[in-house]
Amino acid sequence: MTAIPNKPSPAWIRCPDCEAPCLDRPLPKKAELRCARCGARVKSARGTHSLQPAWAFATAGLFIAVLANVEPIMTFDVAGDMQTNRIISGVIELARQGYGPVAALVCFAGIVAPALHLASIWYVASACCLRRRWPAVHRVAGLVEMLEPWNLVPVYAIATVVAVVKLDMMGTVAWKAGAHWILVLSLCSLCAAQSFDPELVEERLEALK
Amino acid sequence: MKMSDATRLQWAQAMVVTGLVLYVPANVLPVMTMTVVGTVEPLTVLGGVEELYDSGLWPMAAVVFLASIVVPFLKLVSLSWILLQHGKPGMQRQRTNLRRIVHSVGSWSMVDVFLLAILAAVGQLGALAGVQAEPGGFFFAAVLVCSLLAAEFYKPRMIWQTNEQPIP
Repeated sequence: MTAIPNKPSPAWIRCPDCEAPCLDRPLPKKAELRCARCGARVKSARGTHSLQPAWAFATAGLFIAVLANVEPIMTFDVAGDMQTNRIISGVIELARQGYGPVAALVCFAGIVAPALHLASIWYVASACCLRRRWPAVHRVAGLVEMLEPWNLVPVYAIATVVAVVKLDMMGTVAWKAGAHWILVLSLCSLCAAQSFDPELVEERLEALK
Repeated sequence: MKMSDATRLQWAQAMVVTGLVLYVPANVLPVMTMTVVGTVEPLTVLGGVEELYDSGLWPMAAVVFLASIVVPFLKLVSLSWILLQHGKPGMQRQRTNLRRIVHSVGSWSMVDVFLLAILAAVGQLGALAGVQAEPGGFFFAAVLVCSLLAAEFYKPRMIWQTNEQPIP
């Protein structure tokens, strides 16, 4: 079956939010089709938009995610008793103190979800850019949307700043390389999520069939 | 996961009620104890904000106050309003917009849980200094998960289901 570039007949599409039927129509450049009932974005015209930025940001993000988790974020020093801090050390310490569920939440929102989010963007964008029919691409594309609110690295970055201020009252704190990586990782995640366009993915996957 | 809308509504209601109940211990109980040069100091979420404010860092105090006290409360209150209005016509557009806002700012309340994790990592510095996690942190995390799940169960399309008219 060949892909039809432009559907000539008017078609009804469902609003992704409230499921009201909206009349599909060709859009001028940079225009959006909004749901008449609830105001959600139903469709947008993109012209020459591509998935390559998302692919690039996700690839960079995956490498940086490793660095952000491996490199120490800060060192804390009280009377010669030095301690290095990573994302995982908070998880371990909370679990050790008997707060397993809280530790699991931090581990999920701070380490697992951001990595999975970037990995799934990478997988789907690679499949689209390389024009390969990789298995379960549709399901992984669904995963991207599900994981997006759980990618809380930017929130973690803010928490790090507040923590440094608090620890400064107790002893000597020094930033380490990991803190920079966390900042870069949050930028990469935000850019990857911004440039990842589910509608465009749908279009590309449809064209592969 | 396939679920009927009636079940979804029930789950969302249960989660909001649980969240509102847990909001009390989350704010009354201390989240952590900080030991600074021998003095042991239990800190509630609000106490932590106050401490930041007292040291002259009011922008940071404002961020933590908004993210960990105002946002979770407003989220629970607006979700309860949306759920109470379920099935009634009127103000559906406003409800949809409110849900959208709640969804986008909701994750910021994780700041306090992350803060606890980062501070707890310096837990074993002996008697001189250290941070010990306290039960308040558990309740705080529970409130967060409850409101997240409530927003997840109650789909935006359900706002538009009214008793009077079926969906077109």
